[in-house]
Parts: sequence; structure tokens; C-alpha cells
Amino acid sequence: MITNFDKLCSDLEKQELEAPNGVASTSTYAQLLAIYLYQNDLCNAKFLWKRIPQTITSSNPELTAIWAVGQKLWKKNLGATYIALAAYTWTEPVANIIRALEEKVRERAFNLIGRSYNSISIDTVVSMTGLSCEAVQQICRERKWELQADGVTINPTPPTQPAPLHTSSEDQLFKLTEFVSFLEN
Amino acid sequence: MASSLEQFVNNVRTSSASGNFRELCDTIAKSEEVLQRNSAHLTTVLETLDVQQHSLGVLAVLVAKFSLPQGNNDVDKSTMFQQIHDFINNCNGEQVRFCPELYADLCHLLTDHLVELKQPIRGIEILKKAIRKIQLFDSQLTSIHADLCQLCLLSKCMKPALEFLDTDVTGIGFELGGANDSKHFLLYYYYGGMIYTAMKNYDRALYFFEVVVTVPAMVVSHIMLEAYKKYILVSLILHGKILLMPKYTSQVVYRFLKPLSLAYHELGTTQHAAIKHRETFVRDKNMGLVNQVLSSMYKKNIQRLTKTFLTLSLSDVASRVLLSGPTQAETYIEEGEIYAMINQKDGMVVFLDSPEKYASPETLCVLEQQMAACTKLHQYIQEMDEQIQVNPQYVKKSAGSHDEDMPATSQNSKTTYTM
Repeated sequence: MITNFDKLCSDLEKQELEAPNGVASTSTYAQLLAIYLYQNDLCNAKFLWKRIPQTITSSNPELTAIWAVGQKLWKKNLGATYIALAAYTWTEPVANIIRALEEKVRERAFNLIGRSYNSISIDTVVSMTGLSCEAVQQICRERKWELQADGVTINPTPPTQPAPLHTSSEDQLFKLTEFVSFLEN
Repeated sequence: MASSLEQFVNNVRTSSASGNFRELCDTIAKSEEVLQRNSAHLTTVLETLDVQQHSLGVLAVLVAKFSLPQGNNDVDKSTMFQQIHDFINNCNGEQVRFCPELYADLCHLLTDHLVELKQPIRGIEILKKAIRKIQLFDSQLTSIHADLCQLCLLSKCMKPALEFLDTDVTGIGFELGGANDSKHFLLYYYYGGMIYTAMKNYDRALYFFEVVVTVPAMVVSHIMLEAYKKYILVSLILHGKILLMPKYTSQVVYRFLKPLSLAYHELGTTQHAAIKHRETFVRDKNMGLVNQVLSSMYKKNIQRLTKTFLTLSLSDVASRVLLSGPTQAETYIEEGEIYAMINQKDGMVVFLDSPEKYASPETLCVLEQQMAACTKLHQYIQEMDEQIQVNPQYVKKSAGSHDEDMPATSQNSKTTYTM
């Protein structure tokens, strides 16, 4: 499985720019569109969709299906995003990116819930993550989110921040020296 | 072959061989007419010159060939893209730098040609290369930048332009500065602002539009007017109000641009202006931005609530900012620009202070970056200051008596008077 989507992304962008007559292959467009969605770069995804010639978009259902997902993401309609993701049987190499995209969207949804709710009904979590009720309960246990006695309300906790980058004291001293020498001169 | 044309070829050959490029530039400027007149033979001339050795000569011939008026049968435009493409790839950068105007002209011609063909995306890669070739350093602005931005906008492929737009300009190419017109300078910042707006980088977009509007001016151009309109819209989206122009804005801007964009000013005071002046906005092709202004108002309204209330029920939030229902209020709070906690069980929202305590290593990192940027800026200003101090014109002016200044100012006031 390819994990370095950034590299693939710049390769595909290059392919598009160097395409004769300015029209790239369908597979290039499809992969690039999916990668933009994966990177949550919705602006670029929207403009890519707009610039793909109509003859290609109308003859290729996969492209249309990818953009259907993009539209749902644009409208921040998480529930409908999962439905759109499941509505099409993706083919390689796009399927690979779509799988990663789905995981990423779900991850973002969980972080969002953690940040903005301190009590939420399990139904809302199910629709925001597109998972089954059992799977949600499982993940809540993993994240140590409490399920209240009534069985429907969850108390999420904010996601923990990643460990801060540690800068060496030498590096800091260097920066401080530069700063002071600037002020003195 | 006409003898004057033969002479041109000979001149190019001898000057190029002896490295007399400055002289060659003068020759080229004088022989423009000769080349235009002998359009039928230009292809033959090209064959006698070498792209590497006689870059300047080839450049002059190409520009003459492709700037012939439409309907001239001597030029075959179908090979134009390929020829310019090859030239930019293979020409000698040192040589063409002696004549940047001509080089820029060639790029302008290519841009116009691709716009006409409706294939703007093909030119992006080659113009990027063209800019890199003529630039002396990365942050130098050339008039080709505007062409690149135009092609990016037209092809709806904005990403390639960002690497240029993200670099702050510290120098201006020879063909842009001095007595030349400011069209390409204004266009670069106007197109750049549009690209940033499309990418929803409103902060930077606002800065770009501000640059267009604050260019020192005696008269206003259409580019400035359109930029001023977009400045107002972006300012409303970003800050919820129209920011004041900096003090150094030219007087003409206040005098002419404001009355011409009244509809936009009204939008800042009342939302009904969007319907009232709909026709104006649609004609200016700004309706999309106007709609974004309206939707950003909701967010601003919720942000205002956080200043007054500590807790509020979801339905109250909805009714105070005129949303359709509690669920819609929820989606707005989720977006993260408002610090709030939703309690779905009780249907309440608790507004929090920003969780940022300004004590984390990330904050320190940001601070360090900002400090480094300021140091760098200071350095640039010092360098520029030094350059100005040794500029002969400046020295002459500042050393001269005040009497010399007087006629200059009176002349200035005269021009404004006649206007």
C-alpha cells in the first residue's frame, strides 16, 4: 500500500501540467482528486473538478463518485460522506486512496467530537463516524470516553495534544544569541 | 533576402561573437521595423541563428514574428507554442538578461496566444521555467509573474502559482520598474489576491488587494477599482467590517474609488444591500464573494455571543443569530473557530476562553519565527536605505538647494489642477 501520498500528489500534478494539449488521462485526474480530498484540500479539489473537461467527467462514473464525496465534505455533512463513500465500488489505484481517506475522515470526526462536546448522544456519534453502534462503543472504551448509566449519552474528553517538539538547549541558546546581537547592533 | 535583413544577421553574429551584448540591444531596438517589414523571410533568418550563441537575435526575431497583426499570412501560429517553448528551454540566460523587456514581451505573446486557444494550462510549466531563468534571485518580481497568475486563474489550476505568491517580493525586475507602466505590477497583485481568495487564504488576499490600492498614483486604473471592491468584500469576510486604508494611500483613491463602489460600502452596514444592489454585484462578477460575506456574518454573530454569555441554550443561540434550528447552531460551533463545549443532553452551550495559554513550546516556536522574520525585514530595509543613500539622483536632490525643489512642486500642483 502506498502511504506517501504527498509524493504521488506532486507527480500527478506534474503529469497534468505536462500533458499534451492540456488534457491528462482519466486515471491521473481520479487519483489526484482523491488525494486532494485525503489531504482535506477541498479548494484545490473543487478547482480540479471544475477544470476536468466535461467529456471525461460525463463518461467516467468513478470521477463523479469521488466528487460526490467531495461535495459532502465541502458541506461538512459527515453522515452523508460515509454513505457516498460506500455507494461506489472503487477500483485500484483509487480504492487505495479512498480507504485512507475514509480512515482520515473518521479520525477527524472523533477529534472534533472530543473538542466540542462534553456530552453527546451515541446516535450522533454513530452518524458522525459512520460506524456501527458496537464499533463506536469499542472505540469509546479505547479513548476512555465514559458511557453514562442511561446507555445513550457519552462524555467525551478532549484529544490529547501530541508531545511537544523538543528543541535542544544549544539551539535555543543560538537563537537567543542571534536575537540579542540583533538588538545590540 | 533583403539586404537590411542580411545586415541584421551579420550584426547579431559579430556582436554575439565579441560579447558586445549591450550594443546588440541597441541594434535590435533599431531594427524592429526592418524585421516587421520582412516578415516573409523571418523563418529563414531563424535558421541561420543559433539559440545558444545568438539568443538575443533569436529573441528579437521571434518577438517580431509573433507580434505581427492578425491576418498576416507569413506567420504560422500553429508552431508558436513549440518554438517559444524550445527557446525558453534552450536560450542563454545571461544574454537575454540584457534585454528583459523583449523577453517579457515574448512571454506576454505566448500568454495571449494560449488564452486565445483556450488552453491556458499548457503555459503554466513553461512560464514557471521562464521566470526562474530571468530572475536574479527568488524574490524578484518580473512582469511575467502576472502572466503566470492569469494562466493559473483561467485554467482553474492555482497551486503552481502559490510558490511564487508565497515568496515576498524584495526586488523588482528592470522591465517593471522605472518609467515603465505599472500594469503588470498591478495585475500581479490583483490576480494574486484573486488566487488567494479562491484558496480561502483571506489574510494574504487582503494584503495583496491592499498593495494594489495603495500603489502611489496620480490617476486610478480599472485594476485598482476592481481590487478595491474585492478588498472590501474580503475585509468583510475576514473581519466583519471594512478595514481602514493605510495612511499612505493616494488621495485619488479616496476621491474616485469610493464613489464608484458605493454598493460595496453599503454592504458593510446592512445585509439588505446584497439584494438591493444584486445587479451591480452580478455585473462585477462578485456575487459569490457577496454570498460568502453573508454566511460569514453568522459566525461573527456567534462570536459576539461568546463575549456576552457564559452559557446559553442551543435554541437561544439559533434564535439570536437567526438560524433555522438548534442543529444548525451545532454545526457552526463544531467548526472550531469558536471555543465552546456543547452539552447535548441538556441542550446547553458553554462558551470558553481561548484554551491557548501562550506558554506552550508551539507558542515559543511561533514567536521565534516572527522574530526571525522581523530581523530579516530590518536587514532588507537597511540594505535598501544604503542603496538609496548612494543613488546619484538622490544625492543630487538632497544636496541641492531648496530653490530647485520649488518648481517641481508647482509643476505637480499644475498637473492636478488641469485634471
